[in-house]
Amino acid sequence: MIFDEPNFSPGGDRYITVEFGNEMNLELNFMAQGLAGALRESGTKGLVESAPCFASLLVHYEPRDISYGDMVTELQSLCNSLGSTDEIELDSRLFTFETLYLDPWTKECIDDYREKINSDKEYDPDFVARLNGLEDRHQLVRVHSNSEYWVASLGFWPGLPFLQPLDPRAMITCPKYNPPRTWTPQGAVGMGGSASSIYPVATPGGYQLFGRTPVPIWDPSKRFDAFDGDIVLFRPGDRIKFQPVTRDAYDDAERKIEEGSYIYNIVEYQKFSVRNYKNWINKLDKSERF
Amino acid sequence: MLEIIKPGLETSIQDFPGRIGYWDQGFPPSGPMDSWSFRLANILVGNDAGAPGLEAQFMGPTIKFQQDGVIALTGAEMMSKLDGEEIPNWQSISVKAGQTLVMGPALKGSRGYLAVVGGIDAPDWLGAASTFHKASVGGIDGSAIKAGQVLPVKAGQGQAGRKVKEACRPQFARDKKWQIEAVAGPNDDWIDAAGHEQFLSYEWKLEARSDRTGYRLDGPDWTFTEKATNKPPENGEFPSNIIDQGYPLGAINLCGQKPIILVNDGPSMGGFICPYTVPSAAFWKLGQIKPNEFLCFSRVSVEEAQALRIALDDMCGESSIET
Repeated sequence: MIFDEPNFSPGGDRYITVEFGNEMNLELNFMAQGLAGALRESGTKGLVESAPCFASLLVHYEPRDISYGDMVTELQSLCNSLGSTDEIELDSRLFTFETLYLDPWTKECIDDYREKINSDKEYDPDFVARLNGLEDRHQLVRVHSNSEYWVASLGFWPGLPFLQPLDPRAMITCPKYNPPRTWTPQGAVGMGGSASSIYPVATPGGYQLFGRTPVPIWDPSKRFDAFDGDIVLFRPGDRIKFQPVTRDAYDDAERKIEEGSYIYNIVEYQKFSVRNYKNWINKLDKSERF
Repeated sequence: MLEIIKPGLETSIQDFPGRIGYWDQGFPPSGPMDSWSFRLANILVGNDAGAPGLEAQFMGPTIKFQQDGVIALTGAEMMSKLDGEEIPNWQSISVKAGQTLVMGPALKGSRGYLAVVGGIDAPDWLGAASTFHKASVGGIDGSAIKAGQVLPVKAGQGQAGRKVKEACRPQFARDKKWQIEAVAGPNDDWIDAAGHEQFLSYEWKLEARSDRTGYRLDGPDWTFTEKATNKPPENGEFPSNIIDQGYPLGAINLCGQKPIILVNDGPSMGGFICPYTVPSAAFWKLGQIKPNEFLCFSRVSVEEAQALRIALDDMCGESSIET
């Protein structure tokens, strides 16, 4: 449900959790990101930072500058001034990522898991397609690549985005690996629950894998201007499009990345309007599949 | 310049308060686990309280000084010796080029701190020098210090013979039992009365598999309210599962039935409840407790925890020094 009033609770001496509801619903994340933006712009004394998650916002404040009670009052007043979710507009960059679906590297990773940990593990793309009533792995690619994805939050590993499809016709779900994998290739694309993600670096993991992008989202040596001095590429409220490409195009992009001549495809002039989004959603036949 | 002869056990460059402002991109602050001791080491040598210094864990490093200067050791007692002569913690000491400092095993406490006049000259990684080695970020090259490395030091003015007043030093637990403050929340209403009672009365043992990302506590199972057992399915299958949420630093995160205190290098978000949060003023105790010692939690209010933080911050300054 979406709560009538957000719920505030303390996290020790310097955090407040603001909960907007207890279900997976993009609207709750829009509320969290809307409040994060309003808070940033408010210049509230004592605000250190905030971090949106799916249905909540974590606020970090300095107790020397503002009390818990005053910060809650400030947050309540900002929530009220936001008005209806429809009014929320968020700056949103759009990233397009060349993606080789059904790639050999994630297949190798899955095969390794089958050999060493669980021989019964079905090949991930077939598993996800079957669970979601899709024809086959090729339809999974079609469905997955036909939506923009919303960066709801980042975490687990610095820069790892938790992505929700904005197009309800691309909504699919699947369980995570149990037990988890001991390794995952950098750039692997996959999903668990209803969230998709890209692995910033090679790490253990639990998402079902079905593609790989050569484009770095983690840049500690600051090779690419697209990071704008940061080490991680994304911020909450960005959008991502996975562009299916051939092996040749993948290799070409990878070569340019190695040379440092790769050009990131980023659109920065757009705002995300919740009202426009909802109007569009309401026109769709959500039972359709690409 | 500090020449590293032996690195010790994952000795790392840290600064205070660390990498702040990137929680929404998944970056933890890192920084010293016991910032009380760390800040006083800097104050002793005349640095800003937060200047980059070294955090030694359990087994200290061996370091040769390449230039004259002033240093201070604080935190765990590591039987430190300068050219073979024992030197005390909690006071500033002159060192000469060519002298060697050996920090040994931590006898009392877990983490020892070394500040050098001027501070270590480490590059800026998102506004901080603090090492986050899990992601190879911070310090000189993203990792703990290594044998053969030479750490550059900034110029500075320091004075030997300054001491931290006895009353201004952290007092380590003598009977292996640490009294740790905890504030209820953010998810305290998922735990039933018996669960709260048990959390506050049990002596939780710190497991060996604990590090700068999380402190695993050994103890009994938790019991829950209906909020945990009767919830929309997208919250997950276990009672302690919740729709992924941001984690406060210091959260006592209930991973299945296993409480893990999320500390300086911990995760920013995840799908488990956090019934209690250890406030910032108690973090130094987490920095100094050893595996197999015990944590006894006492509940404090938000306001009490904030008063403790402010009092601790005030103590990490010149007023705590005597000459």
